[in-house]
Amino acid sequence: MVIHYLRGFAILVGFFLLGTGLHRVGVPVPGGVLGLLAFYLAMSAGLVKLQWVERAADFVLRHMVLLFVPLTVGLMEMGPVLSRQALAITASLLVSLTAVLLTTGLLGKWLLPTEPVLPGLPQPADELSVQEPSGHDNAEAGAGI
Amino acid sequence: MNLVRWVVGNPVFSVALTVLAYAAALPLHHRWRWIPPIVAACLPIVAVLLLAREPYVDYNRGGSFLTWWLGPATVALAAPMYRHGMALRSSLPKLVLIVLAGSVVGMATAGLTAWLLGAPLPVVMSTVPKSVTTPIAIEVCKELKGIPQITIALVILAGVLGASFGPPFLRLVGVKDDRAVGAAIGCAAHGIGTASLVRQSEMQATVSSWAMAASGVFTSLLAVLVALFLR
Repeated sequence: MVIHYLRGFAILVGFFLLGTGLHRVGVPVPGGVLGLLAFYLAMSAGLVKLQWVERAADFVLRHMVLLFVPLTVGLMEMGPVLSRQALAITASLLVSLTAVLLTTGLLGKWLLPTEPVLPGLPQPADELSVQEPSGHDNAEAGAGI
Repeated sequence: MNLVRWVVGNPVFSVALTVLAYAAALPLHHRWRWIPPIVAACLPIVAVLLLAREPYVDYNRGGSFLTWWLGPATVALAAPMYRHGMALRSSLPKLVLIVLAGSVVGMATAGLTAWLLGAPLPVVMSTVPKSVTTPIAIEVCKELKGIPQITIALVILAGVLGASFGPPFLRLVGVKDDRAVGAAIGCAAHGIGTASLVRQSEMQATVSSWAMAASGVFTSLLAVLVALFLR
């Protein structure tokens, strides 16, 4: 049980260090993303099995919020910058959010012609029943913000 | 007083305090869904630091130990991406196109809006990665010489707003297909949006978690171009 997690963590850290190394050598993409790509390729090539890492990966992603608490606490020193740039920041957020939803949503509507909806899945109209928080959800704690 | 300073200034104390605050935030979020765990976890820490007159830099000596793990967490995103990529095989090329378009539009509109409103360059660059999942957004922000704290605040707000208003907005503009909704929410509201879809539809959540990882990858690749342009 524990060994599953340890192996998973070791593989994740290993790929992260590989990515960081590539970044240091001059690849202009962040080390974490390089590690992600290397890990993805390794799984596609069958070098690493998803099952080896699955539990550790799900654990890290489920509790990712913990990992950016320290940086967020740093906002306590950002008050002056934030209040001076409040308008630009808020406008940028709202404009960009709307633009992304429109682009992806409409492109999706156009490119992905409606397939028969899978049976047993709740329809958008079921909204009321859906609002109830279900006991289990694997995205608990805002999985991986 | 010196003893208090020594305890509070200790990196081990920072880590313990942060883990405790997070552990306490989870049941709060479970009980009251509208409280984001990140907010519930940060407030008590800020209170302790202010009370103990502890500068953020000192707290962050321990805090950076936790921050380091965002790297392996980014790598971990490959797991859902691979798992869901298999399930979505037939529509994958189209989804790639959709998510790529969403990433370009997200970066361009965020940066341009802030720039047009006169924000200084570091603030503009902090808005550029605001649609993607936090660990990647932070890295992209650093590459672009932005201010990570601003990026984090924007990422969280984008997630919370996108999760609550995204689905009704998409219905309003006539987007009904589960895959289209999932792609849009994954691109616009990353993990927080995906988490909110889990309770709606399996297909939406699957596409959304794939789209969230993919848009993170695309955005960090596109940021290379932005960085070249900056030089």
